[in-house]
Amino acid sequence: MSGSLNLAGLLLAAAPGLPLALLASALWRGPRARLMRLLPFAPLPALLAALLAPGGALVLAPDPLRLTLALDLPGAMLLGGAALLWSLAGLYAASYMARDARRTGFAAWWLATMAGSLALFLVADLASFYLAFSLASLAAYGLVAHERTPAAGRAATLYMVLALLGEAFLLLAFVMLATGEAAGNPMIAEAVARLPTSPWRGAILTLLILGFALKMGLVPLHVWMPLAHPVAPMPASAALSGIIVKAGVIGLIRFLPFEAGLETAGTVLVALGLFTAFYAVAVGVTQHHPKVVLAYSTVSQMGVIAAVLGAGLALGDTRTGTLAAYYALHHLLVKGALFLGVGVAAGRALPWQRAIMALLALSLAGLPFTSGMLAKYAVKDLFGDGFALLLVTLSATGSTLLMLHFLRRLARAPDAKPAGTALLAPWLAVAASSLVALWVLFPVASGAGYGALIAPSALWKAAWPMLLGAALYLPLRRLGGRLPRIPEGDAVVLGEALVPLARQASAGAERLDELIRRWPVAGALLVLVILLLGAALQLSAGIGPLRAG
Amino acid sequence: MMPVPVNDAASLLLVLAVLLPILGLCAMLGLRGLHPERVARVAVPLGVALAVAVLVEVWTGGQALHYTLGDWEPPLGLRLRADGLSAVMLVLSAVIILAAALFSQRQFRTPEGIAGDTRAPFTFWSMLMAMWSALNLVFLGEDLFNFFVALELLTFSAVTLVCLDGRTATLHAALRYLLFALLGSVLYLLGVALIYGRYGVLDIGLLHELVQADPVTLAAVAMMTVGLMAKASLFPLHLWLPPAHAGAPPAASAVLSALVVKAPFFLILRLWFDLLPPLPSPLAGQLLAALGAGAILLCSLVALRQARLKLLIAYSTVAQIGYLFLMFPLAAGPLAFWETIGWTGGVLQLVSHAFAKAAMFLAAGLIAETLGHDRIGEFAGLARRLPVAVAAFALAGLSLMGLPPSGGFNAKLLLLSAAAASGQWWIAAVILAGGMLAAGYVFRVLGAAMADGPAGEAGGPPSPLARQLVVLALALVAVALGFVPLQPFALLGIGREVLP
Repeated sequence: MSGSLNLAGLLLAAAPGLPLALLASALWRGPRARLMRLLPFAPLPALLAALLAPGGALVLAPDPLRLTLALDLPGAMLLGGAALLWSLAGLYAASYMARDARRTGFAAWWLATMAGSLALFLVADLASFYLAFSLASLAAYGLVAHERTPAAGRAATLYMVLALLGEAFLLLAFVMLATGEAAGNPMIAEAVARLPTSPWRGAILTLLILGFALKMGLVPLHVWMPLAHPVAPMPASAALSGIIVKAGVIGLIRFLPFEAGLETAGTVLVALGLFTAFYAVAVGVTQHHPKVVLAYSTVSQMGVIAAVLGAGLALGDTRTGTLAAYYALHHLLVKGALFLGVGVAAGRALPWQRAIMALLALSLAGLPFTSGMLAKYAVKDLFGDGFALLLVTLSATGSTLLMLHFLRRLARAPDAKPAGTALLAPWLAVAASSLVALWVLFPVASGAGYGALIAPSALWKAAWPMLLGAALYLPLRRLGGRLPRIPEGDAVVLGEALVPLARQASAGAERLDELIRRWPVAGALLVLVILLLGAALQLSAGIGPLRAG
Repeated sequence: MMPVPVNDAASLLLVLAVLLPILGLCAMLGLRGLHPERVARVAVPLGVALAVAVLVEVWTGGQALHYTLGDWEPPLGLRLRADGLSAVMLVLSAVIILAAALFSQRQFRTPEGIAGDTRAPFTFWSMLMAMWSALNLVFLGEDLFNFFVALELLTFSAVTLVCLDGRTATLHAALRYLLFALLGSVLYLLGVALIYGRYGVLDIGLLHELVQADPVTLAAVAMMTVGLMAKASLFPLHLWLPPAHAGAPPAASAVLSALVVKAPFFLILRLWFDLLPPLPSPLAGQLLAALGAGAILLCSLVALRQARLKLLIAYSTVAQIGYLFLMFPLAAGPLAFWETIGWTGGVLQLVSHAFAKAAMFLAAGLIAETLGHDRIGEFAGLARRLPVAVAAFALAGLSLMGLPPSGGFNAKLLLLSAAAASGQWWIAAVILAGGMLAAGYVFRVLGAAMADGPAGEAGGPPSPLARQLVVLALALVAVALGFVPLQPFALLGIGREVLP
C-alpha cells in the first residue's frame, strides 16, 4: 500500500472531499443559493475513482491516526453504482424539488449523507469506517424528516433511535475487535484476520451482525424501513433504499472473516436472511402504497444478500465479498430507478413508461437478460444444491409476487405530475445503467463467460420461479382487498407499545432525582457515601499486602 | 528523595499564573476609574500567554516545573508544581476564561457616567479573576491545606456569580450551593486534620513517601473524597448544581460547568493516584464508578424531561461528570496509571466536556437573549434566527453524545476500550447507554430549533456575530479534539514518573 500522493489516491480523497467541500461552501450566501443545482456534480470524483482507481490507496494521516483509503473490487463496484445514483438522483432532485421551501437544507443533508456513504466504500481503517458510517446514517435523518409531517416525524424519530442503537452495537464490536491491538486504530483487514481467534468471537460477530442488520433491515430489525423510505421526497427515497442500506452490506463484506470461514455464524446469517426474504414478501403484498411496497421489497432483497454473505461465510469462500457486492449493485441501481420511476409513472402513465417500470420491477425477480438474472446467476454457486438453494430460488417467486402487486398498486396510485425531460432523463439513465453495468461487470465479478447466461438451462432456471410467482399472483389478486391490513412497519407497533413504559421510567427518574435533592435525603446520602467509601477503602487495603511504607 | 528544586525563571511562571488574576482583582478594586472589563482585557490575554508558556516549558523540558515559595522547602514552606496534567488544566482554564471574557465584554460593560449600575460588571469581573486564581492554585498546589484555601476562594467566587442577578430564585440556588459546598469543605478539612495528625506533613510529594494504607489514612481519604465529591456535584450529591448553573449568567455558567466542578475532581485524582498507595483491590474504585454510572443514567434521563434549556444543560453536566468517575477502576492494572487508556480517556473526557459544555451554555445564553426565554417547547424557528448558535450547540452536542469526530467520542472510545480490555462489561454498557440518552436530549433541542415556527421572526436586535463566533470556536475545539490519537499521550505522563 503506497502512501505517496498519486492520481488514484487524489481521486479517492476527492470522492468524499467534494461533497464535503460543497457542504462547507453553503456557509456563504452565493454558493448556498446554487447548492441544489450543484448536487449532480458532487459525486463525480467518486464515479471517476470507481472507474479509474480500483486498487488505489491513500494514507490520509500517518501513525498513530492511520486514516487510510483503499479501493478494492467490491468497494469499487458499490462506489461506482452509488456515485452514479447519487448524481442522477441529484439531477432529478434539482428539478423535483426546485420549488421546495426548504430545498437548501435538503441539499445540505443530501451532501452530508452522500459524503458519508461514498467514504464508506473506500475506507480501510476502523476509525474512519465508524466515522463514515455514522455520517451516512445520522445525516440521512435529515432526508427522512424533510417533509415535516407527523408521519415523517414519527419515521425520523424511529430511524434515529434505531440508527443510534446500531451505532452502539458497532462501536462495542469495534472496540472489542481493536482490543489487544498495538495500534490505537487498526486496519479493518488486520482486525478481521484476528477475529476467528478472538476470545470474544461470538460476541463480536453477534454485535456486528446486529449493527449491520439494523442498517440492512433484516427482520425483526427492519421496522423503520417501511416507515422511513416512503416518507422522504422521491429522490431521497431512491438514495435511502438504493444506497444507504448498502452501508450494512459493505459492513458485512468488510467485517466477516470469509477467509477463515465460520460455519455457525454463516448458517445463522443464511437463516436470518431467508426468513427476511419471505417475511417481507408476505407483509409487502398486504400494503397499498407503492413506495411502501418497494420498501418491503428492499427488506426482502437485503435478506437475499444476507443469505449470500452467510452462505459464503459458512463455506469460507473468498469470492463472497465480490459476489455480494455485485448483487448489491444490481439492487442499488434497480431500486433507485424504481423509486425515481414512482415519481413519473404513477397512476395513468404512458405505456412505454409502464413497460420500463414493469421491466425494472421484474428485474428484481430475476427476469432473463435483466440485471436481476445476472446477479442471481452469479451468487447461486455459493448455495450448493441443498435446501438453501431451493429457498433462494423460491425467493424469486416471492419477488415476482411482490413486484406484480407493486405494479398494480402503482397503476392505482394518484397520477404523477406530468414529467419533463429533467425527471425522465435521470430515471431512464439509472434504469439503463443497471443493465449496462451488470452486463459489463459480469465476467469480472462471477468469473464465468457470457455463454453460460444464454444457455437454455440458465434461462429456464431463471424463468420457472417467476412463472410460479405469476401463477400464484392470480389468486392473490382475487383476494385483493380482503387481505388483512398490516400497519406499515408491522412489528413496530409492538415496539411502540414500549413508549409509555419509557415515559414512566423517565418520570420515575425525575421523581427519584427530586427525592435525592431534598436536604434531609442529601444529607443522609452524604453520610452513607462516606461510610461506604470508607468501608470499601478499608476492605480494599485489607485484602492484599500493604505497600512497604 | 526528590531533587532539590531551584527556583529559576521558568518556575517563576507558576507564581505569576496564580498572582496575575489577583493583581487584576486588585487593579479592579483599587482603581475604580479603570473599568473592570478593561482590566480584564489586559489580564486575560496575559494569563493565556502565561498558561501556554507553562505548557510549552513542561512539554519541551519533559519534566515538571517547581517553585518553592521563599526558598523554604516543604514541610516548612509551600511548593507549586506543574506537571503535564497541571499544565493542560492551566491552558484549559485560560482558554475557557478567555472565551467567557470575550463573550461578556458587552454584557458586563461598565456604563458611562454615574447613572448606570456598576455593581454587576464589577462583581462579575472581579469574581472571575478570583475564581481564575483559585483554579490555578488548585492545579499547581502541592499542599493539602493550601488546596483548602483555594477551594474556599473558588466556592465563594462561584457562589457570588450564581446570584449575580439578585433574583429570589438565584439567591436561593446560591444559598443551597454555599451550604452544601461548605459541608464539603468541613469534610475535606477534617480529612486534612487527620492526615496532619498522622504524618505531620501536608505536602503531597512528601506524603507519598510516608503514606500507609492504615485505617486513619483511609478514613481521612474517604472524608476528603466525599467532601470533594459534594463540591464536584457527583450523584447523589448533586442537589445544588442544576439550579445554580441554570441561574447564573451564561458566561458564569460556562466557567462553572467547564472548570469549577472539575477543580475538586482534579483534587480527587491527585488524592487517589498521587497520594494514596496503590490499593490491591478495586472495590473502592468500583464504588466511585458505580456512583458515576448512577449519575450518567439517572441525570441523563432527568435531562430528557427538562422544559428549560439551561436546566437541561445543567443536568447534562451532572451526567457527564459521572463519566469522569468511571476512570478509577479503568486506570487500575499492571501499567502505571498514566499509561493506561482508561486514565487518558478520563482526562480527555474532562477536557472535551469543558469545551463542549462551555459552548453549550454560551449558546444557551445567546438563545435566551434573543428569544427572551429558554423554553425548549417554544424554540420552533430558532435555527433560522440564530444559525451559528444552533450550529455550535449541535457541534458541542456531537461531543456529548460521543459521536465522531469529537473529543467526546475519543474519550468514550478510550474508556470503552479500557472497560472491554479489563472485562468490566457493566461499565461498557453504561457508557453506551449514556451516549444514547445524551443523543436523546441533544436531539430534543435541535429538533425543536429546526422546526418551522414563530421564533424565526425577528424580534429584538440580532446578537452580534463576534459573540456567536466565540461560541462556535469553543464547539469547534471540542470537535477538533476528535483528531487526537487514540492512545496515552506522553504529555500527560510528564512529571508523574517521579511520584510512584
